[in-house]
Amino acid sequence: MAHSTAQPVRALRTVLDPRGQPTAEVRPSPLAPRLDTLQGKTVYLVDIGFGGGYDFLEEAAAWLQRNVPAIKIELRHKRGNMFLGDPELFAEIKARGDAVIFGVGG
Amino acid sequence: MASGRFAEFAATDSQNHGMNLRFTFPPYPLVGRPREVLRQYVEGRDPISGKPLMPQVVDALTKPLSETEKAPRPLRGASRPRLLKPDTEENLQQLFLENSWADGLPIILPTEERVAHMLTGTSADPNEVVGRMTITTNQEKLEYTVEKVAANAVMAGAGPEHLPVILALAAGQEGSMPSSTTSFARMAFVNGPIREEIGMNSGLGALSPFNHANAVIGRAWTLMTINLGDSRLGETFMGSTGNPLNYNNMCFAENEERSVWDAFHVQRGFRKQESVISIFRGWSVINSMGAAGCCRPAQEEMLLLLQAFPALHGSITFVMDPLVAKHLKEQGFNTARQLAEWICKNFKMPVGQYFGSDLVYSFGNPLARDGVEPYASWWKLPKETLIAPYYQPELINSVVVGGETQALWFTTDMVCSQSLPIDKWRPKSGVYQEEEQAARRRYARQKRHAAALVASGYDLK
Repeated sequence: MAHSTAQPVRALRTVLDPRGQPTAEVRPSPLAPRLDTLQGKTVYLVDIGFGGGYDFLEEAAAWLQRNVPAIKIELRHKRGNMFLGDPELFAEIKARGDAVIFGVGG
Repeated sequence: MASGRFAEFAATDSQNHGMNLRFTFPPYPLVGRPREVLRQYVEGRDPISGKPLMPQVVDALTKPLSETEKAPRPLRGASRPRLLKPDTEENLQQLFLENSWADGLPIILPTEERVAHMLTGTSADPNEVVGRMTITTNQEKLEYTVEKVAANAVMAGAGPEHLPVILALAAGQEGSMPSSTTSFARMAFVNGPIREEIGMNSGLGALSPFNHANAVIGRAWTLMTINLGDSRLGETFMGSTGNPLNYNNMCFAENEERSVWDAFHVQRGFRKQESVISIFRGWSVINSMGAAGCCRPAQEEMLLLLQAFPALHGSITFVMDPLVAKHLKEQGFNTARQLAEWICKNFKMPVGQYFGSDLVYSFGNPLARDGVEPYASWWKLPKETLIAPYYQPELINSVVVGGETQALWFTTDMVCSQSLPIDKWRPKSGVYQEEEQAARRRYARQKRHAAALVASGYDLK
């Protein structure tokens, strides 16, 4: 008795995409214009609160002081934990600072 | 700056926020590294770019912007069609696994027919928006409808009778697996009449894998977190070890009938006849591994076990067998609240131990620095001074579950984030009923357990 070599027909199924819908609630935001130089500028270093970050930023601040003439460093803790903003500090940076470095994530 | 372990995450994260931020990556980790090592990091190279680290920081602040930095485009935002391309069962199962749209286990495919059947479990409009969710702190949320929730419920193996509870969970808009590197756990339990109507287990082995309703409701929360909360390994989910509780989220029903205290939802201000699911967030669970009252009262054992936790914001939840609640009542705790107050008063920890925790460093120290009490006052104390870090009785919870074969409890650092009403999601015709035969078997089993308790001479009331 001969055996059929044809593959059985497999039914196609239609299923729902289980994922939620993107909401496009995030709006693109350009970066702030860059500076020509850091010499003579006020640069904020802001510790966001992860372990070891503040000590690292102290070392980074010392490097900048040694290597960038006339740079003024403001090393700060951000208020609250790493997931929260600090509007007061951010306003101060906008008013008095030329640049800001946030760190250190993770 | 972000440490090198998070280079991929940081790039994606900033693009998801609609920006092309300039990152520099010191080596990982920074935490716990001696000062001279941190200095070497600063003097050394970015391990991702290979360039000298601090000159790269200077460049990031001074090098002119590229066109994409001036006018970035968001990474996401395209609408997704309702249906996937038709395919065979095998190929679709593979597609779900390969895309990580499931929990690593086989799923029930959410066909149109199955989802339509699932929707008989609620009177809500399939197109009604239930909420938005993301497991991250600030990234774009995904929006989901009743039908999307039903699709994930099908995948979890749930039936229509479970849908009102799953919809209530979804309405909480909280993922069961936060993005955090710390590998969170979650817990969810149900109070009220729906426990019995859909056959949840609140008794013997309620937290073990023996009950369909407990299993599929807990699993549905995980699947919703993956698909509706945008949980993607290494892209949005960064839990270092992960957490085994993420599979089912400690899903059970409270054993109201065998508890000497008010049901949890009644303690939270709901009526006893309301059905409610309460959800919790934390990390850890410790089994007391012994009988309450054998050698020392349960409340004293609780104080010892609590030393294992960092006591971050002073939240604890005890998940206890009815025998433990009875024992505690015999010790004079007539309500769960009285136990909470006693714990707050009697648990003490050296302030140096409290602030020595990494978790407290991240979340308690900023409060102390910002002058928030009692953290600011604790911060000024000598290290050996004893403090009472559980200072808010409303954050000490107890829930009763179990089959009274052992007077044990779980001590967890779980905090209740929400208690969510279920009844609004019920179908107008009443909760979809399981098969009569299955219901008969379940009732017979419950009757046998109740008879065994009565025969043992033990009666709570």
